[in-house]
Amino acid sequence: MTQRISIDPVTRLEGHGKIEIFLDDNGNVANSYFQIPELRGFERFVVGRPIEEMPLLTNRICGVCPEAHHMAAAKAADAVYHIDPPLPAKMLRELLYMAFYCTDHTTHFYALGGPDFVMGPDAPVAERNILGVIHKVGLEVGGKVIQMRKYGHNVVEMIGGRKVHPCTSIPGGLTKGITEEQRKEIEEMGHWAVEFAQFSLQVFNDIVLANKEYVDLILGDVYTHHTYYMGMVDEHNKINFYDGKVRVVDPDGKEFVKYEPKDYAQHIAEHVEPWTYLKFPYLKNVGWKGFVDGNDSGVYMATPLSRLNACDGMATPLAQAEYEKFYAILGGKPVHQRLATHWARLIELLYAAERWVELVTDPEITSPDIHVKPTETPTEGIGIVEAPRGTLTHHYWTDELGRVTRANLIVGTTNNYAPIQMSTHKAAASLIKNGNVTDGLLNMVEMAFRAYDPCFGCATHSLPGQMPLEITVRDAEGNPLEVLKQFC
Amino acid sequence: MKTIIVGLGNPILGDDGVGWKIAEEIRKQLPADDIDVACLSLGGLGLMEHLIGYDRAILVDAFATNDQPGSILILKLDELPNYSAFHTTSAHDTSLQKAIELGRSMGAKLPEEVEIVGITTIKVHEFTEELSPPVADVVGFATRVVLDLLKQPIGVKRESHAEV
Repeated sequence: MTQRISIDPVTRLEGHGKIEIFLDDNGNVANSYFQIPELRGFERFVVGRPIEEMPLLTNRICGVCPEAHHMAAAKAADAVYHIDPPLPAKMLRELLYMAFYCTDHTTHFYALGGPDFVMGPDAPVAERNILGVIHKVGLEVGGKVIQMRKYGHNVVEMIGGRKVHPCTSIPGGLTKGITEEQRKEIEEMGHWAVEFAQFSLQVFNDIVLANKEYVDLILGDVYTHHTYYMGMVDEHNKINFYDGKVRVVDPDGKEFVKYEPKDYAQHIAEHVEPWTYLKFPYLKNVGWKGFVDGNDSGVYMATPLSRLNACDGMATPLAQAEYEKFYAILGGKPVHQRLATHWARLIELLYAAERWVELVTDPEITSPDIHVKPTETPTEGIGIVEAPRGTLTHHYWTDELGRVTRANLIVGTTNNYAPIQMSTHKAAASLIKNGNVTDGLLNMVEMAFRAYDPCFGCATHSLPGQMPLEITVRDAEGNPLEVLKQFC
Repeated sequence: MKTIIVGLGNPILGDDGVGWKIAEEIRKQLPADDIDVACLSLGGLGLMEHLIGYDRAILVDAFATNDQPGSILILKLDELPNYSAFHTTSAHDTSLQKAIELGRSMGAKLPEEVEIVGITTIKVHEFTEELSPPVADVVGFATRVVLDLLKQPIGVKRESHAEV
């Protein structure tokens, strides 16, 4: 008899994450499917609208990383008009982006990824959250998290015009710059951010690395996959979030390809499965071989961990030292253990904070030379940035008046769809033995996909719930045998 | 007393934008200028941060329930299920309840009570600026509901479900 386990939304809201796990006759995992909904019709929605609107509209695709969409769309809009914006404009955009990164990575570590380690994966769910972390580590942690977020929002507002959904990037640069007074303020906040990032790495060191059980969990086979890794790098092959070339390394850590954003379509293709709306991107020149590890499988990952694997180092000194420690402790490059992504995220946090200070202390940053007027006929353009959740690609085609005729977007999480599917499958297969479904299953499966910080259905904020989950164990006829709910 | 009304949702994702439409309507009709009106696409921590400094907050949001589309629900925040303990409820954030608890523990001044006016929706997964007809039809009524709520003192027990 085959059993089916379903991790399923309990509201009628269609299209939230759902995990179906099928058991074989012996009660072991036969197969699993991680279904992510697709928000429909964005490509159709933008047709006919001016390209200048894209940095504003695409802000709204996702409630979590509007800044990333703003940047990718702005870069694509530059390309549509064949403009390379002046250096101060690019620096200001990157500065805004670093502040956003600090906010986003902080939230993920303290509110989402961290609790599993700080509280322990088996801790009661009621304690496994940010308040639990504060109770354990100390009240000042909460204050620092709030302060980091506040500083991040302040910088986004100063450069981007608004706190969360920036609106100042236009084709050719920015609509406004910053004053010397603002620069000083941003610099002060940047120094604080560097200290906060160091503090966060210390927390990770004290609580996770000092605990053998957690290190074993990170290094264990349950959360390990050997795939290709993607990340954006500068001319020295150091990580860059805002600009550069996309580099992919193979499962042995050797460079497989490095390409210009405009050439992405030569390297990335999308695989379709009948059981989900979302497509699975893969490396075209390796080919789709299914949800399998190895050099012959075109599956790649695009996350903080993959960015560290795909680069030759960090462009800032403190982050570089942490990067070296990371690979020394985890046994060299590349690191395949997905749970190490949480640590990689904190190293990126430190890099973003250091880069923030670097940019804001550059004399050019207050230059009024922040915009070039578009003069050429608009055609087609591609913009790529590293979003916190993976390489983000925006591609637009326009008519001669700059009205969008076609759009193609590959968002951060989409890159990771195949790896997430593989990770949840492996976690489920490791945990469910002989029909024994434990209460810990949900969290251990969650941990597999939480490392990727996936973003699905995040553009909606409909109450009462964003993504309530339910695990149902079913027999071959679909009759529920056991139900595990996250709330009752 | 400092009050904020927040329209929540995504303005380009069909019925999810209904909170914004209502908030914009409220802004036009508001009798007093000591009340702030905001349109936000946020939840959890980000939303909590916007409520700092206010005595009273009314959130207007799209609801996904089994009620008839266009139904209006009036609730208090603590009447909603608090999913925060199960942080999968959002892959990126904590719940508003948990965020408020966090903010308070950090000494932030946050509204004693957060009221929610929810509108039951139909289409929230398709990009469009248009609302479905039954949802669009209640924008005016929901606006009046919020304006009436403002006249009532907080902490009053009231009927929690009004259907039109």
